[in-house]
Amino acid sequence: MAESAVQLVPLAIVVGMFALFIASGLRTSSRQASEYGVAGGYTGRIGIGAAIASNWMSAASFLGLAGMFYLKGYYAMAFVVGWTGGYVLLLVLMATQIRRFGKYTAPDFVGFRYESEAARTLAAIIAIVITIIYGVAQFRGIALIVSWLFGIAYTPAVIVGAALVVGFVVVSGALGVARNQKLQYFVLITAFILPLMLMARKLGYFWILPQFGYGAAIRDLQQQFGFAWSEPFATVSSFHWLALCFTLMFGTAGLPHVLSRFYMVPGIRDARWGVVWGLFFIALIYWSAPAYGVLARLFEARGGIVLNSTDPMVADMAVLSAVRYSGLPLWCIGLLAAGGMSAAFSTVAGLLLTGSASFSYDIYPRLIRPNASEVDKVYAAKGFFLALAVIVMALSLRPWGMIAEIAALAFALAGNTIFPAFLLGIWWGRANAAGVISGMLAGVVITFVPFMAGALPFLSALPPATSSAFIGAPLVILVMVAVSLLTSPPSEEIRRFLARNVHDTTEE
Amino acid sequence: MEESRTDKEISFFRPRGTAMRGEVRVIWLVLAGWFVAIVGTQAFVYLLEVNYSELLLNEMTFFNLPIHFWLTGQLLPLWFIILCVLFNIWMDRHAARRLDGALRFRIRSGREED
Repeated sequence: MAESAVQLVPLAIVVGMFALFIASGLRTSSRQASEYGVAGGYTGRIGIGAAIASNWMSAASFLGLAGMFYLKGYYAMAFVVGWTGGYVLLLVLMATQIRRFGKYTAPDFVGFRYESEAARTLAAIIAIVITIIYGVAQFRGIALIVSWLFGIAYTPAVIVGAALVVGFVVVSGALGVARNQKLQYFVLITAFILPLMLMARKLGYFWILPQFGYGAAIRDLQQQFGFAWSEPFATVSSFHWLALCFTLMFGTAGLPHVLSRFYMVPGIRDARWGVVWGLFFIALIYWSAPAYGVLARLFEARGGIVLNSTDPMVADMAVLSAVRYSGLPLWCIGLLAAGGMSAAFSTVAGLLLTGSASFSYDIYPRLIRPNASEVDKVYAAKGFFLALAVIVMALSLRPWGMIAEIAALAFALAGNTIFPAFLLGIWWGRANAAGVISGMLAGVVITFVPFMAGALPFLSALPPATSSAFIGAPLVILVMVAVSLLTSPPSEEIRRFLARNVHDTTEE
Repeated sequence: MEESRTDKEISFFRPRGTAMRGEVRVIWLVLAGWFVAIVGTQAFVYLLEVNYSELLLNEMTFFNLPIHFWLTGQLLPLWFIILCVLFNIWMDRHAARRLDGALRFRIRSGREED
């Protein structure tokens, strides 16, 4: 994908799409208040679903998943199942109960439920680490697109991308732009599916539903070029497949910025049906994403490009390269680049803002400056926002994997820490502060221990960090249960709150 | 009286009260459907892989897609949506029944007061 010239038409479409979202956000913000760009207006359950999907859609969904298919074939299906199946857990175990707690962030929830400032601070630190890891995945996506748009190398593209993100947040904040998430979702999903339909049509496949039509491309790759998608579990065992899949599901039900969606919906019934619509809108992306990976391979084969490419950079650009090699007009690739940029920008901007807000609200006045005034907290938030952006940018210069793999690490950390804290906090009245602190600390260790396999060879037998919550989350739950039972129970007030306000325990 | 009714330990494995017991029962059913579908499809795909050649696996198609791509990539997300819809329908009906019961109780007690 290396280009040396500025891609003018795609660049114009990227600018145009951002202008559309900003103009629409300005109109929205004149009608309603918005806090850190996450509040947004809800118009019915479809609106809530679109907001959930728009909030969810990031560079990992837009670019990363197709890249995984391009490189690893069936293994990438674990991402599809993990990132959709997690919403079942979220709906049945958490959505309505979180709404009943009435707390606005994950640290707020943990602090209130476990009646512990230490647990709250620990949850805030973990949420910030999750933000950083997830942010690196977005920055990598942004940098790859910037690199192609401006014809520059990856490293300067990371710096330009970071500057653009910071500039975008500052301008949006100064103008008071709210996110019109419904519009954003429908524009992004159109930008994602329309080029796919056009490609399938050009190839003579079933283009009305290219989510099925790409099956013909798998057949053609095999019959014409001898390229067979690997047998499902030939390179990765079924255990590893399931470990990744369940890790992503636990992580989905534990990601702070996903959970925060449910504090803001108007009613419990709306929260539940919003999840269903959100899941449908998200599934539309994941039904389609594999097609990009397959078609990129097919066009490369037809163009005489070597088929055994294992370059992660090339794989992460599979969505754009598929359209580029297909011979479709430039505006199609511009549409995809604009969609990818927009998804990554809105995700990373929201993450950095909520991360800095969490620092100024949960950590700064509690650990660093106990008598901080409101003005001090605002300065702390702004300073930490810049610091976070620099940290994420620095880590993005040498990312440790593909976009989807980096995102999966954030899911593993969330699945090993926040997910058990919420699960037991909601469903077991006996869980207490000592239990959740021990559990979250154990979760952090479990997540990062596989990285020490170089120094401690026996650790190499463990599943990779990105799959750690499959075993890690149940282990953390056991730690929480054991420590809670060995220490004094939580207060009568919080147990009564659970019985009266969160669950309906009355007899008919 | 109300104190003794609400002052009970909340536990997923020992739900208290009619409503919570019903909700937990449905949650168990949904989670069973969720778990069995995921593990079951992968076990099926694994058995296909073990028993048939790669070529044959790609020849077994449904709606154009190789069977393992279709089962995992298309059917499972659709199954998750169906599970969520069923859960919500049950929860809505359950809530409506409870509301209905509460209204009847209020009307009856109002008449008794008259």
